Amino acid sequence: MSTSDPLAGTAAARHPEPRRSLLVCALVGAAVMAGVDEIVFHQLLHWHHFYDRSTSGVALVSDGLLHTAELLALVAGLFLFADLRRRGALVPGHAWSGAFLGAGVFQVFDGIVDHKVLRVHQVRYGVDVTPYDWAWNLAGLALLVIGGVLLARARRAGGRRPS
Amino acid sequence: MTTGPVAAPLTLACVCAAVVYTVGAARLRRRGDAWPWRRDCVFAAGCAAVVWGLAGPVPGGPFTAHTGRHLLTAMAGPALLAVARPLTLVLRLLPPGRPRRGLLRVAHSPAAGGLLFPPVAAAVDVGGLWLLYRTDLWEAAHRHALLGGLLELHMLLAGLLFAMAVCRLDPVRGRCGLPLRAVTLLAAGAAHAVLAKSLYLSGPPGTAFAAADLRAGAQLMYYGGDAVEVFLALVLAVQWYAATGRRRARQAARDAVPAGAR
Repeated sequence: MSTSDPLAGTAAARHPEPRRSLLVCALVGAAVMAGVDEIVFHQLLHWHHFYDRSTSGVALVSDGLLHTAELLALVAGLFLFADLRRRGALVPGHAWSGAFLGAGVFQVFDGIVDHKVLRVHQVRYGVDVTPYDWAWNLAGLALLVIGGVLLARARRAGGRRPS
Repeated sequence: MTTGPVAAPLTLACVCAAVVYTVGAARLRRRGDAWPWRRDCVFAAGCAAVVWGLAGPVPGGPFTAHTGRHLLTAMAGPALLAVARPLTLVLRLLPPGRPRRGLLRVAHSPAAGGLLFPPVAAAVDVGGLWLLYRTDLWEAAHRHALLGGLLELHMLLAGLLFAMAVCRLDPVRGRCGLPLRAVTLLAAGAAHAVLAKSLYLSGPPGTAFAAADLRAGAQLMYYGGDAVEVFLALVLAVQWYAATGRRRARQAARDAVPAGAR
């Protein structure tokens, strides 16, 4: 936390906001996961296809909306995070838990809704996709579990802290 | 070169605008106004992007080159120009009198207010793009040079309109909250991304671009659109961050005064 904070010492400052810390970092976590998906699987590995011929119109629109929302979420999330830090309202435990939960929710959503329900594109082409789908969704689940454990720990720590 | 009849006059206009802006900003600074240098740089970069898109060399096949040009003249260039607050600069430079009053009247007119209402500006900008790529307009524009030129001009002005409507940095009619501007940016970005993905599969009606060219162009459109969108989102985020900080500082100053002293 910066010591040159103009609000330091005022009554409004240094009031921790665990809920907001969690939500803001969930936004950042989801957006970062989406960025990893775009950079690693689309650009570096070329596993995902830019356009899958079986993509329906609805899937195309949902993909466009989600892709744009990811970009805006990354920008908005980082500035909301900076605002939390500026006010000294960031609670690190809840923030980390939020980041993992957000990343996990995105991964599972991408794996089930985008890949399987809407069929925007598959994890990989020209191979049996089943193990890839399992790995994809279990990785998402693992992120969710880590986020859940961190949240439970953060809540316990918050409860112990004298307020 | 695939540029139409408006390329030469538009290029000249851009060069003149850059010179006028730089001279004007220097005059403002001489008289003591705070006008950051970065705005001069951003405006010059915007003019350079437009000129490059109009007349410069662009790599790739015919469709990819078209997409690159469009990205420069109708998206990146206008976004940079809008961020440099050209209207604010002109209003500060003009002495009180008829031209200044006239310009203010235009900026505050209901027509300008309507056009600068973010959803309308987005519809004009991205809607025009959909018409160009998904109707026979593309073919007509390539048969009639004048129509093609007018379209080029429309794309530049519509891009400027959209960037100004979303960023709201210049004093125009009507205030518009951040949520509406952010949602408009989201919707416009999504419409742009969907159009780019659909072009990956099939080009504009009446055209026969090579598949590789079409795909490269569509991907350039998709990711180039992302870059401009993130730039506009950063402008909005900085506005929000600064405004929130100011509001809190005011609140803190009020709270610091003891209740009895008010």
